[in-house]
Order: sequence, then structure tokens, then C-alpha cells
Amino acid sequence: MSISLKRAHAIFVKDYKEFSRNYALSIMLIFPIILALLLRAADAASSLPGSFATVLNLSFVFLTCFVQACLIAEEKERNTLRSLMMTPATTMDVLIGKSTLVFVMSVVVLAIATYLFGYEPASIWAFVAATILSIILYTAVGTICGLFSKTLLDASLSIIPVTIVFSGAPWGAFLVEDYPIFKVLDYMPSSQLVHLLGLPPTDFTTGELLNPLLIILAWTVVLTIVSVVLYQRRLKDE
Amino acid sequence: MQFEPMYYDGELFLPKIELNMTSNQSIGIITDLKRKQLLMNQLVNHSQYYLFRAQQNEYMRLTVEELITFLINITERNDRVASLIDYFALKEERKVKIKDLSSSKRMYVTLLRVFFAHQPTLVLEEPYFYLEEQDRRHFKRILDDLSKEKQILILTSNFEDALISCDEIYRLNELGFHQLDIRDSEEDKQEVQEQDRANITLQKIYTKRNDKVILFNPPEIDFIESVDGSILVHVDGENYDCALTLTELEQRLLNFGFFRCHRSYIVNLQKVREIITWTKNSYSLRLNTGKDAVVPLSRSKLQELKALLNI
Repeated sequence: MSISLKRAHAIFVKDYKEFSRNYALSIMLIFPIILALLLRAADAASSLPGSFATVLNLSFVFLTCFVQACLIAEEKERNTLRSLMMTPATTMDVLIGKSTLVFVMSVVVLAIATYLFGYEPASIWAFVAATILSIILYTAVGTICGLFSKTLLDASLSIIPVTIVFSGAPWGAFLVEDYPIFKVLDYMPSSQLVHLLGLPPTDFTTGELLNPLLIILAWTVVLTIVSVVLYQRRLKDE
Repeated sequence: MQFEPMYYDGELFLPKIELNMTSNQSIGIITDLKRKQLLMNQLVNHSQYYLFRAQQNEYMRLTVEELITFLINITERNDRVASLIDYFALKEERKVKIKDLSSSKRMYVTLLRVFFAHQPTLVLEEPYFYLEEQDRRHFKRILDDLSKEKQILILTSNFEDALISCDEIYRLNELGFHQLDIRDSEEDKQEVQEQDRANITLQKIYTKRNDKVILFNPPEIDFIESVDGSILVHVDGENYDCALTLTELEQRLLNFGFFRCHRSYIVNLQKVREIITWTKNSYSLRLNTGKDAVVPLSRSKLQELKALLNI
């Protein structure tokens, strides 16, 4: 499958213009910033554990995943995706163009949110790697949501289960004592992110650092492959 | 281009169709919604056919110029945006967002996607349906230019739309797949004259619609009626103007099983299904044309009809 940067770039520019003029969608850009400011205030008052991880986990779903799902669902709703399939643009061109836009926006906004929150990671490299992997992961989840929705409305609703499963997973830890089955939730990428970000800045082992990273990497690889395969298969049915 | 036959409820719904398409020619098929879908579903090969479906929508928040730039980039063409906008006659709408265009212009801009298709065959569903007169002209001009290198197939349920830019028109319905005889008026006049000179009796009934002359074989005709002095030839639920008088038509069609059943009606007896008696002195003929057509029958003609049919 050939990938053309020119075509991916055309999709990137087109989606950027569509996104920036769709205020219902682009307002999501300020969501992580507001959340960071709110939780910073809460953190200063009671010093909750893992509050910055909560900012990230919610932002991934409401910015990265939601925007990607809406971009794809809107194209499906207007039958423009089907039309794109008949141009020389390949599946990868379309996915790369869209994902790059979502990726760039997420990175910029989350960098601002991190700065405003004033979070200092145990290891800056592990933090950056985990964030970038998570953005890719949630973009893949967004692609899957977009593929299963026919309209923008469907896409907006499909975000709700994602929020519960991914953003809600770290809170599942509170239930573990009563129901041991919820231990599974500890392997969710969001829970691993909480562990990683909760490491004390001075004393940690490499194993503590690598373990969450590897689990997040595994999730990212699996979900990315699933989303690409699903994308190709769903579009053939249309 | 080939279509496989399709059966529905044990009946042949779509006959096997083979179209010999050459470039520089566009073909129209007049058919209903369901058959349109079935035809398009068979054209899945994206490297061969570009399908433009009627539900196609556009990126609403882009301006016309941005959309055309996008289409050029995505198809990797070497055209310049400004010259294409001139060619599409969209100079005034250049900076307007798609969602702010009038619905006809929006459809016209959406239809421009076919211009960028690289496939050798373009298939369009109802291209003219939502267009106003001026946009129709522009789009016809673009299609005519495209047909120099590509084969164009137009699927529509409207005969007039097919007439706009098709060289050959077929009708596909429960009776099968048949070519309609359309020719440009001027050509046709000459032919009629030549035929007169050779003293050949004209067997086709020529009718007019939109400055085109359409020739019907007599068996195709359901019935002919006279309304306010003009003669309407009814074929498959649609009517066409005819310049001849009923008396002339009656003479011409006598040998084809037509019958003057009323002062202002001639009916094709092959298509009559039922003689309806309303009261003792009033009668009608019901035709088996699918669309429930009923033609009046004069009391005085009843005996003549009975004699003809040996009842």
C-alpha cells in the first residue's frame, strides 16, 4: 500500500479547516486546560493521589478520541468517505492525515495543560513516551468509535462507554477489596498511567518505570492494528 | 459494461444487460429507485467505475476554492485552482462556504467530484435532479467535455433529465430493458422527408419532448388521448406530444391493433385487460400497463369492439 505525503497533507489541511470552523468540536480544545486548572486547585487543597493522571485520562477521551471519532463519523454521514475511497487516496493516507491532526492538537494542548498544572514527572522521558503512546492509543480507539457510528450523534454517544471503560478504570481500584474481579482493571492503560505518574520523583526502580510503559505500548500496538484492519474491512462493506 | 440478472421473489427483476460503451458517448438508463440501487451495487470495482450516488454530500465548512484545492491535491492533478474555478464558472462563489450556497449550487459543486475521477467510466445517479436551469447548463457542458475521454452512464427516473446529455437512452422496468429511439429534431426532419420521397409508409409514431423527437414503435404505446386540441401519446405512464390528429393516427395505427374507442381516445387493444361496465350506458377499458390506466369507451363503439374481439 502506497502512502503519499501530498495526499495525507491534503487531508490534514482539509480536516484542520473543517475542525476549526466546527465550534461544537473545537471547543474541546480548552477542555484539558480547564480540567488542569480545576484539578490543580483541588490538588492544592487536599492533595489527591494521581490527580494529574486524571486530567490526562479524561483529556485523552474527550479530546483525542472524541475528535477522531467525530472526524470519521462526519465523513461517513456525508458519504464523503466513500467518495474518498474512489480517489487515488489510500486507507493509510486518510488515516494518517486525520490522525496527525488529532495528534498535533493533543500534544500542544496537553503540553499547555501540563505546564499550567505544574506537574513534575519522575522521569521526563518516561512521561513523554507514555503520553505519546496514549495519544496514539486513544486515536485508534476514536477511529474504532467513528467506524461503528453512522452519524455525528452516534459518535458523540459512543464516547460514553469509552469514558467508562478507559477513564473510569483507575477508580475501579476502590472496588478491588469487595470484588477481586476488578483487579483486571489494573491492566488498563489508564490505570498504568496513574501508576507511572504517581511514582515519587526521587526513589523508583527501572522496573517500576518500564512495566507501565510496556503495558501501554502493548495496548497501543494492538488497538492500532485493530483499528486499521477494521477500517479497511468496514469500508469494503459499504 | 455488463450486469448480471437478478431475481426477486422468483421473478426476473433485472435482466442480463450488456452495454457496449465507447468513449465519446453517454448512455442514460431510465429506471426506478430499486433497480438503480441494484445496478449500482454491481459496479463495485473502484478502479473501473466512479460512482456518484444521489446521497453524496460535501464538506460543508470549506469554501468553494478550498474544496477544489483539496480535490486537486487528493487526486494529484496538475491543474491550477484559478483556471479550474473559471472553467466551472464559480468565480463569484469562490470564497463562499459550501453550506452557504443555494441548494442547487451546492449540488453542482458536489457533482464536480466526478470531474476529478480517474476511472474510465463515470456512473451518475440523478445528476440533474436538484439543479436549476443555469447549473444544469454548466454541468452538461462539463459532462460533454468529460465524455470525450470517458464513458458516462446516467441513471435516472426522469426521462427529461436523461434527454439533457445522453446520446442513447434505455428504459429498464418490469417489461425488460429497451432502447428508446431518440434523435435530434433536425436530423429527423430530413429523414422524414427522405422517407416520404421514397414513398415508404412510416411505421413509427413520432412525438416531441424538449425539442427532441422521440420515435415510438406502435406496440409500445398504451393509448392516445386528445386534451384541449393537443394529442398526447401515453407510453408507460408518461405522455408525449404528437403533431398528428387523432384521425390520422387512427388510420396509421389501424393495422397495429389500435381502436378508436372514444371521440378523443385511441387505445392499443393488445394492452386492454378488462371492459368495465359502470352503468348500462357507460363503459371503460382498463389497461394492463401496471399503472392503473382507464380509458373511456363510447357506447356506440361497444358493438364495434365486440365484433372486433369476436365476443
